[in-house]
This record gives sequence, structure tokens and C-alpha cells, in this order.
Amino acid sequence: MDALVVVVALVVAIATYLTWLALRLDRLAARVADAREGLVTQLVARADAANTLATCCALTDLADSVRRARAVHPVLLAGGPLDGAVELAENVLSRSLRSGEVAAAGQRFPAELHAVDSEAARVALARQFHNDAVRDLRALAGRRLVRLLHLAGRRPRPGYFEIDDALPARGDLPDLAT
Amino acid sequence: MRIGIACPYTWDVPGGVQVHVRDLAETLIAAGHEVSVITPVDDERTLPPYAVDVGRALPVRYNGSVARLLMGPVSAARVRRWLREHDFDVLHVHEPSAPSIGLLACMLADGPIVATFHTANPRSRFLTAAHGALQPSFEKLRARIAVSEAARRTLVEHLGADAILIPNGVAVDGFADAEPLPGYGDGQPTVVFLGRIDEPRKGLDVLLAAMGPLLATVPDVRLLVAGPGDVAGLRARLDPRLRDRVDLIGLVSDADKPRVFASGQVYCAPNTGQESFGIVLLEAMAAGTPVVASDLDAFRRVLDDGRAGRLFEVGDPARLAAVLAEVLTDPGGVTDLVRHAHTVAKAYDWRTIAERIVGVYQMVSGDGRVSVASG
Repeated sequence: MDALVVVVALVVAIATYLTWLALRLDRLAARVADAREGLVTQLVARADAANTLATCCALTDLADSVRRARAVHPVLLAGGPLDGAVELAENVLSRSLRSGEVAAAGQRFPAELHAVDSEAARVALARQFHNDAVRDLRALAGRRLVRLLHLAGRRPRPGYFEIDDALPARGDLPDLAT
Repeated sequence: MRIGIACPYTWDVPGGVQVHVRDLAETLIAAGHEVSVITPVDDERTLPPYAVDVGRALPVRYNGSVARLLMGPVSAARVRRWLREHDFDVLHVHEPSAPSIGLLACMLADGPIVATFHTANPRSRFLTAAHGALQPSFEKLRARIAVSEAARRTLVEHLGADAILIPNGVAVDGFADAEPLPGYGDGQPTVVFLGRIDEPRKGLDVLLAAMGPLLATVPDVRLLVAGPGDVAGLRARLDPRLRDRVDLIGLVSDADKPRVFASGQVYCAPNTGQESFGIVLLEAMAAGTPVVASDLDAFRRVLDDGRAGRLFEVGDPARLAAVLAEVLTDPGGVTDLVRHAHTVAKAYDWRTIAERIVGVYQMVSGDGRVSVASG
């Protein structure tokens, strides 16, 4: 009788623990999905702001980079992977935004340049939120027990999104972000 | 937005986190947001209308200040009810690494949660020991904010997670155009010091040692010392030459702080170390008082490498005396510096800082809502 009580208690405890783990995994998967959506929205917003600047200042280099980045956006918005091709296209845009040409154009169109810089800063934030979420999910999904029991289901493990999103230094104020 | 803020420390006990929460909440409300703060409090009558009481609890020492151990069923029930009643767009918990209501709210909620980390503590035994236990709660955080580089480093080292740096804010407008205290503002050269007088790292001793040589170049100089501590004891051990030149006025209220800055021609921050962020410097800069500070990393950063205030070598009274004499004898020479200082301070104005925090809220909230966690 006693042994039965112990066994039942043990089974209940193990089941509770596993349910709790599965709940955490679900929650993390939702967080990653939200962060991914926020990141994609922000990448699109940055390209839009860059496009406005490129159009009003007739910057052909920037316009080319925008076109390249925008070419991958429909796939992303449809749920496509944030893979190497996307990283490459976004890196090209980041580099164009740091060019002397853009800085010079900003002298004539400060509002447009400021809009691009704000969206670019938000890309950096969105990317950090995304990668933080991915790190937390991968840490839990990588646990031996979780892998052994397939608690994470058949979901593919999300990857980090690594691009160069450093902002150019502009203005005479000290860099408050560091 | 509908914003819920969880404050870990007792509302009516003075402390940096409480001040931060209060200023943030009031700035957000002024900007048109709906804000509710939940906090422990000793005397419920001290609570502003936007704050609710989570109840009394066990005081425990945490990282030099007294935290309230708030893990009991009563507080948990109150937090749950608070979450349910408000249906927040975002929940902002403060210092969730302390065993208090920031962490409790984080455990009980689900959805868009943002956390701000205030503590800079390179060797936190609590954080090291509790890392595993905290992880399930911390993995709910959609965004982490650190108020200083040191706080961010603490987070990276103990929890392996990065954070965005958004510094403390200053109510810039509140410091402009203040009246000097009675007996000041008559043109007599006055140096202002603000801070605890018996805490060695605040560096009052360095400033007192500089007063001797300073008297040689500026004979009518006086020193105004505002801050709590053993006033009588300090007066007794003052150099006799300085006795009628040093005014010890003790603790000043928040309302009188701008008047203290307005009472001097220069504000001096002779700190000798461990300063994670120079909030008082920014207040002086907002008040338009020239700043002379020791060249600690944090101060150098706030003073824009010397362009927004004069720096001197940490702990060197002779250099301090020389720099103070320059500022006092040639007020015209610091006009540009004061103007630039005001511009720098404005970047830390609470309205600017709160906008950046709201930017984070918007990025993490999407269309989700904060709910009571199911497990």
C-alpha cells in the first residue's frame, strides 16, 4: 500500500515537472515567434525609411541596397527563414547607410536621415530581443531530458540572426547608448 | 498604453529605485499613458493615487539596502488581482533579481514583460546561487534594460544575458531657474558639495584638503556642504582656518536640491570610486552650475570627456584646488562649458528617457496582453 502511494506520488511529480517544462518551451516558442515578427517588421520599416531618403536625394547606391533588401522581405513576411541570404542583403543596406554619401545627404534632409537612424536603432534592439529569445529557447530545448523525450516537438530549433547593425556616429552629443 | 510597474522596495523608504519608479510613472502619466504601480509600503497614506499597496512583508538585507521578502500567498494574491484588474499592455518589473515583488510579478505574469536592472554588483552571491531558480522567470522577459554600464556587466556576467542601456533620467526643467538658499547668491564665491558627508568614497575629505590651497588664491571662498551624516562630528574635526568657511546644512529635501545648486558658482564631485552613474552631476548641469569632478570613468562619460565639466585627477587635492580656482576666478571662461552641459543634461531628461522606454514597450508588446500565468 505504502509503496503504491510512493509510486503514485512519484508519477504525479514527474508528470507535473514534465508538463511544466513543456509549458516553458511553449512560452519560449511564442516569445521567439513574437520577437521574430517584431524583427521582420523593423527590417521592413528600416528599408522603407532608407527608400524615402534614397528617393529624395537621388542616391543610387542606397537605392540599390534597398532594392536588394526588399527583394527578400516578401518571403520573410510569409514566414520564410531568417537565413544567410537575408543577413547578406541587410548587411549591404547597413553598409550603404554608413556611407559618406548618406551623411552628406543628411545635411540637406535631416528629418529623413533622422527617420532612417531611428529605424536602424530599432533594428538593433529588435535583433537583440530576437537573439535573447532564441538563446533562452535553445538553452532549454538543448537539455538532455528535453531532447530525450522530444518535449520540444518537431519544431526546428531557431537560429540567431547576425547582421552588422552598428550605427554611424552623428552629431556632437556623447554616445548615450554606451 | 496601459502600463503596470512593479517596484521591489518599500515606497516610503528613500532609495534610488523608488525615485526612478516614481519619476518614470509620473513622466509616463504626463505623456498620456495609463500607469499603475504596485509596491510594498509602510504607511499607505504616502502612496500617490497611481500606486497600490502589496502589503507588508519580511525585511531582508539585499545588496546593501533593505528589500522586502515578498513571496507569501497574500502578496501573490494581490499581484494576481492587480494583473487581472488592469489588463496591462506591458508589465515593467524593477530589479527582478532581488527576492521581492519585481520577481514575484514576473513569476505570476505571462505576456509582454520588461525588466530594469539597477544593481551593479560584480560578485553577487545571491545571483550566482539563484541563477538556476531564476531562469524560468527570467526567460519570460521580452526585454532587459540596465541603468548603467556596470549594471549591464553584472547581468552579463551572472545571467549570460545582454541588456539595453537606458540611463536614469533627470527632471531637467525642475532644476532650471531655482532661487539660491537664504544667505547665498550674494556674489561671494561658493563651492557646493552634495552627498553623504561620512561616506569616504564621496570624497568630501579630498575637497576639504583642497580648501587650504584654494584659500590662498580665492581668499573669500566658502564651501556649502549639503548631505546627511554626522554634522557635529565633522564640524569638530575641521581645520580651524576652515571653520567659518564651511557651512554644513545637513540633509536637504528633494525640493531644495535645485536651490543648493543655485547657491554656488561651482558644484564639486570629488568622489573617489565606485560611482556607477553621475546622476547628481546631471542635476547640477541641468541647473546651469559649472561642474568640477574627479575623472572617474562614469563622470568622464557624463561630462563628455571634459567638454561639459572640468575633470581633475581622482583624490588629488592640489589639482582640485587649481581647477576650482580657475572656474571661480574666471566665470566667463566656463560659459561654453555650461551651455554644452545643459545640452548633455537634456539628453537625460526624463521625457527623453521615458520615450526610449516606451519605444521598448512598443517593440515587445505587439498585440499581446499581460495575463496571469497558468503555471
